[in-house]
Amino acid sequence: MSGKRISLIVNGESVKAEVLVNRLLSDFLRDDLALTGTKRGCETGVCGACSVLVDGDVVKSCLSLAAQVDGKTLTTVEGLGRIGDLHPLQESFMAHGGLQCGYCTPGFLLAAADLLSRNPDPQDAEIREALSGNLCRCTGYQGIVDAVRNVAESTHGN
Amino acid sequence: MREFEFLEPQTLTEALAMMSEYEDDACVYAGGTALLLAMRQRMLSPGFVVSLGKLDELREITFNPAEGLRIGALARHSDVARAPDVQAHYPMLAGMAGGLANPQVRNQGTIGGNLCYADPATDPPSCLIAMDAEVTIAGPGGERRLPMREFVVDFFTTALEPGEILTHITLPPPRPDRTGLYRRHLRTPAEHRPVANVALTFRDVNGVPEDVRLVIGAAVPVAQSMTRAEDFLTARAITLDVAAEAAAMVAEDIDPISDGRGEEAFRRQVVRAITRRILAEAAGLNWKDAAA
Repeated sequence: MSGKRISLIVNGESVKAEVLVNRLLSDFLRDDLALTGTKRGCETGVCGACSVLVDGDVVKSCLSLAAQVDGKTLTTVEGLGRIGDLHPLQESFMAHGGLQCGYCTPGFLLAAADLLSRNPDPQDAEIREALSGNLCRCTGYQGIVDAVRNVAESTHGN
Repeated sequence: MREFEFLEPQTLTEALAMMSEYEDDACVYAGGTALLLAMRQRMLSPGFVVSLGKLDELREITFNPAEGLRIGALARHSDVARAPDVQAHYPMLAGMAGGLANPQVRNQGTIGGNLCYADPATDPPSCLIAMDAEVTIAGPGGERRLPMREFVVDFFTTALEPGEILTHITLPPPRPDRTGLYRRHLRTPAEHRPVANVALTFRDVNGVPEDVRLVIGAAVPVAQSMTRAEDFLTARAITLDVAAEAAAMVAEDIDPISDGRGEEAFRRQVVRAITRRILAEAAGLNWKDAAA
């Protein structure tokens, strides 16, 4: 099996790497780039814990090959905010009980970031639909929906 | 996942040559959302994965009032759902694509990949059949077109011959007097694959349906036109009783899948319910007004 040389932008930084062509994007991010904020959950495309943004669109990195993101721009949770400079969604998840164990949180944050980039003032039903590809077994979801709605309201001024 | 060679043709001609050269040992790779899972579970172990990622011309969605809509096979579900021409002229299709699976899969999975994988538990086939879609297939001998209703032939099986690649899906020009609805049934809101779905289109002649297409998907191995119910509904004003009678006919005429996600009897009842509801909705009636 041959490798493939890929060149991409991850969280604003240019990355060049040689990957095996059957390397999953989720494994590439975690094991090769040490970006362990992206979680491996079900690894079958159901739970959404591995969600990342590719060219601004949220996708599941366990359903993608690293070879597929050659030339693309990626954002993982590490690129969303940093300690001391958190993204408004991260602040809001904390303030509204949008997490407990935190394993699903990176995926939810990126799915929510994708939603708000397209629809800055979503209805609750739209928030729930946008997060329907992500599972949380702790919160019961209401805290997550509250967190996303609050960011929308505070940045949208209503 | 077993090892494979990852090929990235730069042109469709090159992709077709690869498919002809490696035949059964090659798989076309579009978005990868379904194929990658099958490969990781070793249900499929192709020696050559032919990625169409570089064939940008197959991502285009174009509309022309005289010729209709042409969707490249590599258009993602979210591309279809968000395309202004699709939203304006084919809202039924936009709604179907915008509700398929979940946002992450819509951002990566392609309409062509979905059709070629031919998993019954999905949305596009029934919707596209009811909209009189055709598919364009490129092969070593040139191009051919096929009605969508002839494309999927069995569980995970299409009419594609070895060496062929699906390139486009086309829909006829919209007709102002033709109306359509698509509805899916999920057991829970978090489920991503429908247990049953129904697509309905017809020509509205003063409130009476003509040229009716009523297609059931997901509950059956291959999306299926319900011809007896279509004939029954033609030139007959839809009342709640008519809707119930047509729905009973459909439930009787299907041969449902029976598996861990739904036994035959359950799927038959779901199909009956969603058929009755979509017919009532199409006629502007509230299905909750009638028991049964």
